[in-house]
Amino acid sequence: MTATVERAPAASAAPPPLPRRRRRGRHRLVVLGFLAPALLGFGLFFCYPLVATVFFSFTRSDGLNPPEWVGLRNYVHLLTGDPVARTAAYNTLWMVVVLTTLRVVFALGTASVLARLRSGVGFFRTVFYLPALAPPVAATLAFVFLFNPGTGPVNAGLRAIGIDSPPGWFTDPAWAKPSLTLLMLWCSGELMIIILAALLDVPTELYEAAALDGAGPWSRFRHVTLPSIAPVLLFGVVNSVILSLQFFTQAVVGGSVASGAAEVAGHSKNVGWPGNSTLTFPAWLYQQGFRYFNMGYAAAMCTLLFLVSFACTVVLIRRMRSAAGTGEAR
Amino acid sequence: MTTALGAPAARRTARPGGGSVLHWIAVHSIAIALGLMFLLPLLFMALTAVMSDQQTLTTQLWPGEWRWENFAEVFAKAPMLSYLGNSLLYSGLATAGMLLTSIPAAYALSRLRWRGRNLAFFAVVAAMLLPPQVVAVPLYILWARLGLTGTLWPLVIPYLLGDFFSIFLLRQFFLTIPQDYADAARVDGCSEFRVLLRVILPMARPGIAAAALFCFLYTWNDYFGPLLYAGERPESWTLSLALASFRGLHNVEWNLTMAATLLVMLPAIVLFLFAQKSFVKGITFTGVKG
Amino acid sequence: MGTSRRPALLAVAAGLLVAACTTGGAGGGGAAPAPRSDEQVTVSVWSNFADRELAALNRVLDGFHAKHPNITVRSEGSQDDDKILQSIRGGTAPDVAISFSTDQLGQYCSTGAWQNLGPYLERDKVDLDQIPKAVRDYTEYRGTRCAMPLLADVYGLYYNKELFAKAGITSPPRTLSELTDIAKRLTVFNPDGSIQVAGFVPTINFYNHRPQMLAPHWNARWQKPDGSSALASDPGWKEMFTWLKELVDFYGRDRLAKFTASAGQQYSADNAFQQGRVAMMIDGEYRTAFVSQYSPNLAYGTAPFPVADSRQNLHGTGYATGTIIGIPRGAKNAGAAWELVKHLTTDTDALVELSNGLKNVPTTRDALRSPKLQADENFQTFTKISESPNLASSPSSPTLASAVKFTEDFATRWLNGEVANLDEGLAALAKQIDDNAALGGK
Repeated sequence: MTATVERAPAASAAPPPLPRRRRRGRHRLVVLGFLAPALLGFGLFFCYPLVATVFFSFTRSDGLNPPEWVGLRNYVHLLTGDPVARTAAYNTLWMVVVLTTLRVVFALGTASVLARLRSGVGFFRTVFYLPALAPPVAATLAFVFLFNPGTGPVNAGLRAIGIDSPPGWFTDPAWAKPSLTLLMLWCSGELMIIILAALLDVPTELYEAAALDGAGPWSRFRHVTLPSIAPVLLFGVVNSVILSLQFFTQAVVGGSVASGAAEVAGHSKNVGWPGNSTLTFPAWLYQQGFRYFNMGYAAAMCTLLFLVSFACTVVLIRRMRSAAGTGEAR
Repeated sequence: MTTALGAPAARRTARPGGGSVLHWIAVHSIAIALGLMFLLPLLFMALTAVMSDQQTLTTQLWPGEWRWENFAEVFAKAPMLSYLGNSLLYSGLATAGMLLTSIPAAYALSRLRWRGRNLAFFAVVAAMLLPPQVVAVPLYILWARLGLTGTLWPLVIPYLLGDFFSIFLLRQFFLTIPQDYADAARVDGCSEFRVLLRVILPMARPGIAAAALFCFLYTWNDYFGPLLYAGERPESWTLSLALASFRGLHNVEWNLTMAATLLVMLPAIVLFLFAQKSFVKGITFTGVKG
Repeated sequence: MGTSRRPALLAVAAGLLVAACTTGGAGGGGAAPAPRSDEQVTVSVWSNFADRELAALNRVLDGFHAKHPNITVRSEGSQDDDKILQSIRGGTAPDVAISFSTDQLGQYCSTGAWQNLGPYLERDKVDLDQIPKAVRDYTEYRGTRCAMPLLADVYGLYYNKELFAKAGITSPPRTLSELTDIAKRLTVFNPDGSIQVAGFVPTINFYNHRPQMLAPHWNARWQKPDGSSALASDPGWKEMFTWLKELVDFYGRDRLAKFTASAGQQYSADNAFQQGRVAMMIDGEYRTAFVSQYSPNLAYGTAPFPVADSRQNLHGTGYATGTIIGIPRGAKNAGAAWELVKHLTTDTDALVELSNGLKNVPTTRDALRSPKLQADENFQTFTKISESPNLASSPSSPTLASAVKFTEDFATRWLNGEVANLDEGLAALAKQIDDNAALGGK
C-alpha cells in the first residue's frame, strides 16, 4: 500500500521536509488508525457471515444439523425450477426501478420546497419528517387501514371527488406494489433530510455568481445545485436501491394485514398476498430458509441476490460518477 | 475554487427563488398540501389510539368515546420506564460508538489518498448489501458462543466497530466539502487528526447530525434486533419490543398498540426537534481557523 | 483432489457455525430424570402469547409451581418461532417451547430441534389414548413424538340463524351441494351488481377458507404413502377445486374480489360474518369468543362443516390443529421441563383452566368431558367434532408448509381462471411441491 498525502499543488512547499519514506509510512499508519475499528467490524459482520452463507449455498441444510454437500444443485433449482422465485425477482426488480426513482425524486422535491420556504421552515420540516419516525410495522398498519378499499378514508375521499371505482390498493394485485411505494414515499423523510442538509451546504456564492451570469432557475439547478449535491444524491440513489433490494418488513406485514389476517411481525400466513404480488425476493428467501427449513437453498438465493446487487451497485456508482463529472472525484 | 468566506448571515436570504409574493404563496401552498398528506395517516393513528377496543377497525374513524386512559393502560401493562432506559442505552451507546468509529473511517475514505481506497469504498457498499435476515444466523451463533445473548451488547458492539451505512453517508457528506479548506489547514502544519477535528467536523455538521439522528432513530425503532438478542430477558427489553406485547394469538389490541406506538415515537420527535438546530447551525460556519 | 478440497476449506471457515449446530444435541438419547423434591431448579418457558393470553398461561403455570414447589417457572411471552430456533442454533434454548406453528412440527421432529419425548412417555406410562388420534398425528412425525398438544383449534361451520330464518331454512347444510344451494339463496346483490350479502365466500385465503381447513370434507390427502405429493392423484382435490370454482363463477370473480377487499379484518369487530354480510363460513372454535366480545347480539349457530355428497359417511368430521409444546434441543433442565410439559398437557384441571382462559378446545378426552369446562351450545359443536372418529389434521411433514403455500397460490390462479386445464395444473403443482421438498434437510 503506497499512500500519498492528498494536497493542492500550491501547498507542496509548505509541510516540514520529512524524508519521503518515513512520511509515507506514517501516513499509512494514520490511514490504518482511522480505519482500524471499521476493518474489524468488516471482518466480523460482513466477511464471516458472507463466507458462511456462500458455503451453505452449496449444501443441503436445515440450519440445525451438519450440512450435506450438493454442489450447484440449489443454484440450478433457483435458476430453472422455482417459478415463485421468478415472481419474487420480478417484484424486487419492480421495486428497485420504481421505488428508487420515485424516492429520490420525491425526496429531492420535498427538500427543495423546504429549502425555498421563507417562514415556518422548522414546522414544515418536522411535519414532513414525522412519518419517518413511525415504527415500520405500525406505519404499514395505518396505511393499510387508510387505503382499505371499502371503508378507508382514502377511497371515501376519492369517491367524494367523483371517482366512482377507486383502486383496491393493497387488495388488488395490480395496485399492491404501487401502494407499498406510496407507503415508502410517505416515510422517506430520512432521505429528504439528507438532501436538505446537502442543499443548504451549497455555497451561496455559487448561486450569486450564477445569478450574475443571468442563469434561470432551471439552469441554476442543473449547473450549480446538482453538481454540488452530487455525492449526496449518489448516496440517496444507492441507499434507495439497497432499500428496494432488501424490501421485506413492509411487504410482508402489508400483505398479511390487507389479506385480513392480523398477524404482525414475520409470521405471515399469507406471504405475498394478493397473488404473490407483494412477495419480494428477500421475503421468499426468508420463507424458504426459515419457514421451509431449506437453509442451503436460502443461502444460494442470498448469494445470488448479493452478487447481482453488488454488480448493479458498482455499475451504478461508476456511471453516476462519470455523469457527475467532478462532483465525486473532487 | 477559492471562495470568499465569511458573511454567513447573508446565506439564507440569498437562496435561489427570488422573493415575490406569488412565489411565497406557491411554495407555501405546496408545503401545506404536502404537510396534510404527511399528517393524515399519523392523525389516523392518533385517533385509533384513543378509541375503545371494540371501535378500532370498525368503519368509524372518529372515536365514539375518547379513551385517554389507553395511554395509562399501556404504562400499567408494561414497565415502560425500564424499557425506556434500555432503549436510551441501546440507541445512545450505538450512536456515540458509531460517531467515534465511523467518522474517522469516512474521513480516510474521502479525504485521505491511499492505494485501495476505491476498493475499500466498494467494500463498504457491499457490506450493506447482505440481506440481514440471512446474516442473522451465523451472527447469532457468534454472540451465543460469547455468552452475550440476553443482553444489549450484541446490538451495541457492531456500532462500536463502525456502521457501514453511516460510513457511506458521512463519506458522501465529506466529499461535498471543498478540498481547499483541508489543504489550507495542512499548509498550516495540522496533522490529519487535527484537520478532521478542526476543519471537517465543523463544516460537515449537518451531515454528521443527520448520520447521528438516523443511527439513533434506526436503533430506536429496531424491532428484530432486540427481539433476537434481548427478547429472552425482559430486563433487557426495549420500547420497540414492548409494542409486540399487545399482540395475542388471534387478536391484536390496535388501540393500545397505536397508543404505545405514539409513546415510542414521542422521545424520537423531541430528539428531532433538538437535532434540527444543528442543521440550521451547520450552514453558518465561519471558515477555517488553526 | 483440487475440487474436493475447496468445500473442506470453506467448511473450516464456516466451522464456528457447523460446530455450534452439532453441539446442542446433548440430552437427545434417553429421558432425563425428574429433579428430586429437595432440588431447586428453574425452568424457562417461551411462548408467543402476550397480554391476556400470557396471563392465562401463567395462572396455570402457578398451579404447576404449587404442585412442585422446588421447580420455579420463568415464563417469557412474545417469543416467536424464529427466535426459539435461533436460540436452539446458538445453544441458548429455553427448557420448554410453546409454538403456534403446527405446520413446522415435521421440521422440529425430523431435525431434532425439539427433543424426542418418547423415552419420557414410556418411563411415565402416559396414556396417549386420552388424546384424539388426529391430534396425536399432528404432534408426531414418523413415529417421533417431539411435542405434546396444548389445546386444539377445531374447525366447523358458522351460520347466521337470522338470515337462515328469513329464507325459511331450518337446519344447517349437511352436504356441499346443500351448502351451494343455500349459499346461492342467501346471497343478495346490490342494484349495481355488487355483492351485499354473500352466502358463502369461495375465495381461497379469505379468513379461514384455506386448503387445510377445507380438504378433509372431500377427504383430500396431502401426501401419498411414500411421502410425495398427492395433489394430482387424490380425486378429492379435483372435486374441491371444481366445487369452489362453481361458486366463484356464480358470484363473478371481480365482484368477489371487491367484496372480500372490504370485508373487514378477520379478528376484529367488523368481521363480515359478525356483521351479517356473510351467511356461512368455516372457522375455528375461538370465533365464539370473538362473537361474544364484539357482536353479542348476533344470532348464529355452529355445526360440523358439510361434506362432499359422495362421502356423507364422513359427516361430523372437521379439521384440527393447535398449539404445540416441547423441549428444545439444548434445554438445561430437560427432566424438570418434562414434568411441566406433562402437567400442562395431561392434567385435566390444568387443561380445563387453560381452555376456559384461551377459549380453545382441550386436548384430552377427560378434559373435553369435564363438567368444569365452560362450553355453551356453540362451543360444544367443536368439542363434539374433536371426538369424531374422522377428525382430520394435516400430516406432519417437513414439506407441509411449502405444500400449503403452493396449493394456495395454485387455488388463487385456478379460481381466477388463469389455469386452462385443471388436471395439468394439479400435476404441475404436485411436481412443484416435490421439487421444493427435495431441497430440504431430510
